[in-house]
Amino acid sequence: MKSDNKADMKKLALFAFLVLFLAIPQVVHNTYMLKVIINVMLYSIIALSVNLIVGFCGLLDFGRSAFAGLGTYFLAITLTRYGNFPFFLAFFGAGLFSASVGWLLGMLCQKTAFDYLTLITLGVNEIVRVILLNWQSATGGAIGIMGVPSPNLFGFHFDTHRRFFYFAYALLAICYILIRRLTRSHYGRAFEAIRDDAIAASYSAINVPKYKALCFSFASFFTGIAGAAMVSYTNYASPYNFTIDESLIMMQMAILGGLGSLPGCILGAAILIIAPEISRTIYDYRLLVMGILMVILMVFAPNGILGKNGVGERMVDIVRIRRAEK
Amino acid sequence: MLVQILINGLSVGSVYALIAIGYNLVYGILEQLNFAHGDVYTVGCFVTFSSLMIGWNPLICIALGMATGFAINLGVERFAYRPLRTKGANRIAPTISAVGVAYIMRNVVQLVWGPQTFMFDLGLFQKNSLHVGNTIIGMLQIYIFIIAVSLMLLLNVILKKTKMGQAIIAISQSIPTAALMGVQVNRVIALVYGLGAALGVIGGLLFCSYYEFIFMGIGFMFGTMKAWQATIIGGIGSLKGAVIGAIIMGISETFISAYISTAYKDALVWVIFIIFILIRPKGLFPAQIAEKV
Repeated sequence: MKSDNKADMKKLALFAFLVLFLAIPQVVHNTYMLKVIINVMLYSIIALSVNLIVGFCGLLDFGRSAFAGLGTYFLAITLTRYGNFPFFLAFFGAGLFSASVGWLLGMLCQKTAFDYLTLITLGVNEIVRVILLNWQSATGGAIGIMGVPSPNLFGFHFDTHRRFFYFAYALLAICYILIRRLTRSHYGRAFEAIRDDAIAASYSAINVPKYKALCFSFASFFTGIAGAAMVSYTNYASPYNFTIDESLIMMQMAILGGLGSLPGCILGAAILIIAPEISRTIYDYRLLVMGILMVILMVFAPNGILGKNGVGERMVDIVRIRRAEK
Repeated sequence: MLVQILINGLSVGSVYALIAIGYNLVYGILEQLNFAHGDVYTVGCFVTFSSLMIGWNPLICIALGMATGFAINLGVERFAYRPLRTKGANRIAPTISAVGVAYIMRNVVQLVWGPQTFMFDLGLFQKNSLHVGNTIIGMLQIYIFIIAVSLMLLLNVILKKTKMGQAIIAISQSIPTAALMGVQVNRVIALVYGLGAALGVIGGLLFCSYYEFIFMGIGFMFGTMKAWQATIIGGIGSLKGAVIGAIIMGISETFISAYISTAYKDALVWVIFIIFILIRPKGLFPAQIAEKV
């Protein structure tokens, strides 16, 4: 019973935190801080989608930002070219478009091994970046697309920072719940089985290529949606946001937070977005710090902070041993 | 025109080949995605560049750069890769750790030498060129091609004929078995990493003398990526494959930018590459080792 009580307390605390979080825009009037928080929430969605591929399916994807780019440009093009295109449709379409490209990629790479898949994702990132940069008539080339409208649901415009905060909050909550449901469903279990041992999984009647393709399309859906949300926040789509370096940062978020851990993604995104903001003075050393962090993390806790056997669990273990000694 | 493009493609390809040989040496033996290859040899190239600026003999400068690359990779292997290898981590962890090393190296170059582009001249090769009919062949292009091919042959001989080479091949087939046969696994693997970086420095220096510039970004986009692509086209673990794969890439790049489009060059090369992988996933010269379950 005691553990039940504890779990209840935890749930209550979480709920209280979530409600308190809702009050942030009412208390914080600093636009800059709101901006950072919104960025954290949007990047969390991408980190969640990365985690779906890397943490649950065990594939390495270095091209996530390409899919964010596809979502971004789908929304930007539909909303700026076709005047009264409903926002909701464009937003959802961005996710579906990105998902279908992800599915295509997954289908093409059904039989390719780990290394090749990693390289192909890098290649897709390059291909998408070059196309966004050079297809003048559709994407506006290097100038990008300006004046992308803000989210507009049932006549309500999320056009200020405060209003957008709620939009991002709701979006993150929905995506989080969906991904959580997904990872606990039949699909999620299949992904985990593939990650742990693909050959054993194939003998347990799991169609490995099919699930890999599915994993890519699910993850790409969420990445695309996050990309679409980002462009509707900044109102400006630029091809320079979708580089390989950006993809690597997205992946680091998932890895730092913890592979296979969903709250970890949010933590990872928060650390990797807030840390550069508060450390503008050590901006020149940013890559150095990041690199050392990555090496140390991989050597000592390859599953990140909140992942399995990660830093978090180890701390808990240490505390427990200390208490037992007393 | 056609012959000229072919020759340019051949020399671009041999530059890539030099970088790919070093990459393939490590990749073929340990099957580890070495993301740091390019950025490690960039440090070596910059050391050579600095000592050239002081005015030392180019050969000494090259040796210095190679020694730097060798030493860096020994340290990196010891602290970033070996702990993961002995722990038996999955494929993801070493890759990420290599990305971390690449970040560190890039930042070091940026802090020491700065992000600007410098003129680069090794001062070792004649600048003249041969005119055969309408085509022009630079002496440097010929040198690069010869160096690439002879390095590949030399390495092949070393791998086949020397005891160390046989130890390397044994490790590539099975680390535990090699250890049982009395191969000092850790030492040999460290040596392979060092050798890979030293070869990478040669490739990087010739890349810089071919394009006559040096900057901090030569490592990733021009080094690691191209070497990786060339390696996979040629077949992992095959030095001959790395050279031929790199030359195929160089030729397709120059042909695409000459006849189709310069803006879409990178994207089209990637498309060709992806189609190639899907059709022939083991590369042109696959290693003859059965896949382990």
